Amino acid sequence: MEQNNDILMDIRDVKKTYHVGDVNIYALCGVTFRLVAGEVCCIIGRSGSGKSTLLNMLAGLENPTSGQIIIAHRHLERMTQSELILFRQKNVGFIFQSFNLMPYYTALENVALPLVFRGAPRARRNKIARDMLDAVGLSSHLQHKPMQMSGGQQQRVAIARALVSDPGIIFADEPTGNLDSKTSDEVMHLITHIARERRKTLVMVTHDPNMRQFTDKAITLLDGKIIDIHINENAIGKEFDGKQASALH
Amino acid sequence: MSIIDTLTIAFRNLWRRKLRAVLTVLGMAIGTAAIVVMMSLGIGINEYFRESIERTGSMTTITVTNYRTNYSSDGMAEVYVSGLGGNDEIVLDNKAVESIEKIGGVVAVMPLMEYWGQAVNGQYYAHLNIMGVDIDKAELFEFSLAEGRMPSKHAGSAYEIVFGSWTLREFTHKRTYRQAVDAMGNPKLTLDSRFQLTFDYSNILSYDDMGMGQDGATVSKGKLYKLRPVGVMSEESNNYAWYSLMDIEAVKKLAKENKAYNELDTSRYSQIWVKCADTGQVLDIQNQIMALGYGATSAQDTLNMVTEQFASLQLLLGAIGSVSLLIAAIGIMNTMMMSIYERTKEIGIIKVLGCRMGNIAGQFLTEAAYIGLFGGSVGLAVSYGLSALLNMFVFAGDDMGIGSVMRSVIPMYLSAGAVGFSIVVALLSGMYPALRAMRLSALTAIRNE
Ligand SMILES: Nc1ncnc2c1ncn2[C@@H]1O[C@H](COP(=O)(O)OP(=O)(O)O)[C@@H](O)[C@H]1O
Ligand SMILES: [Mg+2]
Repeated sequence: MEQNNDILMDIRDVKKTYHVGDVNIYALCGVTFRLVAGEVCCIIGRSGSGKSTLLNMLAGLENPTSGQIIIAHRHLERMTQSELILFRQKNVGFIFQSFNLMPYYTALENVALPLVFRGAPRARRNKIARDMLDAVGLSSHLQHKPMQMSGGQQQRVAIARALVSDPGIIFADEPTGNLDSKTSDEVMHLITHIARERRKTLVMVTHDPNMRQFTDKAITLLDGKIIDIHINENAIGKEFDGKQASALH
Repeated sequence: MSIIDTLTIAFRNLWRRKLRAVLTVLGMAIGTAAIVVMMSLGIGINEYFRESIERTGSMTTITVTNYRTNYSSDGMAEVYVSGLGGNDEIVLDNKAVESIEKIGGVVAVMPLMEYWGQAVNGQYYAHLNIMGVDIDKAELFEFSLAEGRMPSKHAGSAYEIVFGSWTLREFTHKRTYRQAVDAMGNPKLTLDSRFQLTFDYSNILSYDDMGMGQDGATVSKGKLYKLRPVGVMSEESNNYAWYSLMDIEAVKKLAKENKAYNELDTSRYSQIWVKCADTGQVLDIQNQIMALGYGATSAQDTLNMVTEQFASLQLLLGAIGSVSLLIAAIGIMNTMMMSIYERTKEIGIIKVLGCRMGNIAGQFLTEAAYIGLFGGSVGLAVSYGLSALLNMFVFAGDDMGIGSVMRSVIPMYLSAGAVGFSIVVALLSGMYPALRAMRLSALTAIRNE
């Protein structure tokens, strides 16, 4: 079903053990799966099942104790700190549970920040940031500070920020964890819609099993092991991108 | 990340905690001001000595003497070698002039000849310390005159002279010993008065001794020459104020004619002055002259000696100032560490967003540099204020026209150096915090507190 040359992420027998005092905590006990470019995927599991640990390793924020993480043909576990930062600069957008916007900056400045680190000139990055905010429906909130926006609005700013540098992969750790259920659904619609529209690979962590209705693939974790990989042919919003759907099947 | 973005973001980060930033800058300002004011005092003392030494002679002139001061090998004890007689007699003659002229970097060599005589005006007379100078070269040595001009080359029967600064006031009545001054102490005689020059005391005192009415009645008496003063030596900034200047050829001629009354070996000079092309060569040329066996002194080596003696004082003053700068530097470090603890999460987030390690360190170093720049600039402004106040009220100069020994001087290089140093110190204090920030784990951003 999947063609080898389409594979973006190849995760092979990844283990992570934390040592707390004399106690070993096995956060991940051999996780193996693959993702195709453009796939929208969620990792589901109870609190403490190792979802965040897995996501952090995919984003190169943490090293596995053993195993291989190959993304776009590159071994993340072999990269140095600076190489990982460069890799993230080029390929990765990140959405946090608690939004993590800079409280002193306006929405526009927050969204433009990743472009500042990439050395984009002011006029260009402001234009891109404005377009991004427009795409998440916040064109009227450019000059608002995070404190002046609702949780849903803040997360939309964060989504715009994750996408502004046009990365191939978006990671999101419980993006709706701090939101009420109505706002949650809106944000889920937005994230998956934008990811499909722009052909991004989306890997999203959630504890809410209902979220699998939005994604093509749902990986269920329990105590550091994959217990189920569910393929969803009729994910919500999939009709937006017929081309991609046909490429996958 | 562009430089302008780094500068802007660092400034905004600093300005976010206004009070803390201002206090840290203030600490740095006090530290800088302490150093600058302390050093300005040291520089002031140095400058005072430089000025007073420069006042006594040009910085490019070397005086060659027929005596010299030797230092024993341990550099402590002085051994005085007299040039007057003995085996090690130093002779300043035409040969000496020639050998000194051969030294590279020497612009002019001028021998001087000292002689003594009496100036006479009617019943008044004054003792003259005559310094014979080479009129052609004298201009190079910048004799400072209070009025008039230098004598021209001797010709004819009249002898031109520049009086010493006090000569006109020193004319004394040969019987009453009263000085030729008015009630205010100003001399009655002027350069236009008629003067004569003699080397024979009996020309002056015979009148009293013999009760005769006419000068020069006895054949054996020395001649009375016609003396024409053309200028007066300046009193200020002049080591030779009490000398009266004449053409050296005239002095030689007079000395030969008056051997009977005042013997002088006209083949030997009392001093030789050497003019160097520039100040940088003076010490070198001076050493070469001393290597030839002559004694030599210069304003330069006096100044060097004084500067050397005051170097330790300056060092002490600088050290006192440095203590407060050190405290300010610790303040910067403290401020930076605190802001890193506060911004741990934020640093993690920007790392996840793709900020490079170097850029993170760069941002913190820029913040430190700002503190250094602002602190240094404010400190410098404060220093100028303090310096002006000190000079105005504490070290107010006396009326001698020299000014007080203690004064505060802030030269350009100290201003620039102070701000530069302040930035460097701030950067050094920011180094460790910046390193810490750079090494913070990006994971801290992901973990929810
Ligand atoms: N830095 C750490 N040190 C020690 N234990 C950790 C650390 N991070 C995670 N863990 C442990 O690993 C397990 C998985 O954690 P996590 O991946 O955060 O789970 P989830 O995101 O699914 O709630 C948990 O038992 C947690 O306590
Ligand atoms: Mg988690």
